[in-house]
Amino acid sequence: MMSNVIAFEFPPINELLRWKDVWAAGSLNKVGLIAVASALIGIFIFMSAAQKNPKVAPTGTRNLAEVAVEFIEDNIIMQTMGRDGLGWTPFLLTLFVFIYLCNLPGIIPLLQMPATARMAIPMFLAVLVWVIFNFSGIKHQGFFTYFKNVLFPPGVPKALYILVTPIEFISTLIVRPFSMAVRLFANMLAGHLLLVIFALLSEALLQARDKILIPVGILPLFMLLFLTAFEVLVGFLQAYIFTILAAVYIAGATHPEH
Amino acid sequence: MIVHVTTWHGELVQVRVATEEQTDSAASTSEAATSAPNPIAPEPKELLWGAGSFLVFLVLMRLYMFPKIKKGMDARYNGIREDLEQADATRLAAKSDVAAYEAALVGVRAEAAARVDKARQTLDQERTALMADATARNGVKRQAAEAEISAARVAVRDQVAAAVASVTDRTAQLAVGKKPDASVVAQAVQQAMQTGGRS
Repeated sequence: MMSNVIAFEFPPINELLRWKDVWAAGSLNKVGLIAVASALIGIFIFMSAAQKNPKVAPTGTRNLAEVAVEFIEDNIIMQTMGRDGLGWTPFLLTLFVFIYLCNLPGIIPLLQMPATARMAIPMFLAVLVWVIFNFSGIKHQGFFTYFKNVLFPPGVPKALYILVTPIEFISTLIVRPFSMAVRLFANMLAGHLLLVIFALLSEALLQARDKILIPVGILPLFMLLFLTAFEVLVGFLQAYIFTILAAVYIAGATHPEH
Repeated sequence: MIVHVTTWHGELVQVRVATEEQTDSAASTSEAATSAPNPIAPEPKELLWGAGSFLVFLVLMRLYMFPKIKKGMDARYNGIREDLEQADATRLAAKSDVAAYEAALVGVRAEAAARVDKARQTLDQERTALMADATARNGVKRQAAEAEISAARVAVRDQVAAAVASVTDRTAQLAVGKKPDASVVAQAVQQAMQTGGRS
């Protein structure tokens, strides 16, 4: 018995994730370009907002910038760090805006690649957050007190330190940056691959030689549209999660009683 | 490339039909895939550009953009807060003005009511006085009229008595042939008029 099977060639993974250099070899590829563009767009928005008259009702970029500032202050800092954490607003605001702008190109036609779907940027940001929260903890509590509080949490029965100390060491000092980076990277990569899969499937079905398969191609096309809309939410959510985790870690390091 | 699945000795077998070029290409792709870099591993240039972009953005945000935006926001919020406080103060002043006005209005209303009452009392007194005066004047007039009526009645009665006496005197003279005593006739007529002619 012989039967026809619908199949399409799925491109090699590196073809979907690794991009050729824009000009000279080893210089700048699409991911780097998106990162630069994200920073430039962010700088443009906030620079433009800073130039506008603050006394009149905010519109355009000023409105956008103020909404972003209030979002970070009210929904992230006040919820995790309290009023003392307002000094961290510029860092957390930059973190959120940069990640969100790096996520967005995943659904923008022609770009169609979130810069955070590659490990480099999430890893850098996670390591940066790790350095910052450890540095803040050391600065606020002192080197020995900070590590004592991290490795020997107060209130835990001494016998349990045998169990708790290695767990705290691994979870706080090793797993945190790893989990932050992987969470962002894996979510964005999964979204990117889903979009690729449904786009290729739609194309294969809509261009099938067997005409009966063409209407079936509408189904993955609808799924593609739904996932594209869903990725807008995912992009925002991942930026929010990364930023709020950074705030929680910094708050935990600067206020050990939390 | 066309892909088929068929059975061969009871096993499912996937058969790919491809041109020579595609086969070469697939072989090279497969070879490349085995020697390709790890897709998860971060590329140094992406790390460099990503980190550089973020740090530039962060420095500009920290040193210039955020302080300026925040300063403007604070200035506007403070302005709005001051405007609200001023509006509250104005509202309170207006409320106290309204309260004072209402208190004054109550005083004026009480004064007006007192004046109306006083005027009503004065009016009542004047009316009572006028009524008493009119009643007194009416009484005097009534007494005068009654006296006049009584005098007129007496005069008419005297005239009727004189006429009846004259007629009676003439009738008696014609009947008996001699003139009766005038005083007797007058007395008889008086008696008859007093009794209403009833005997």
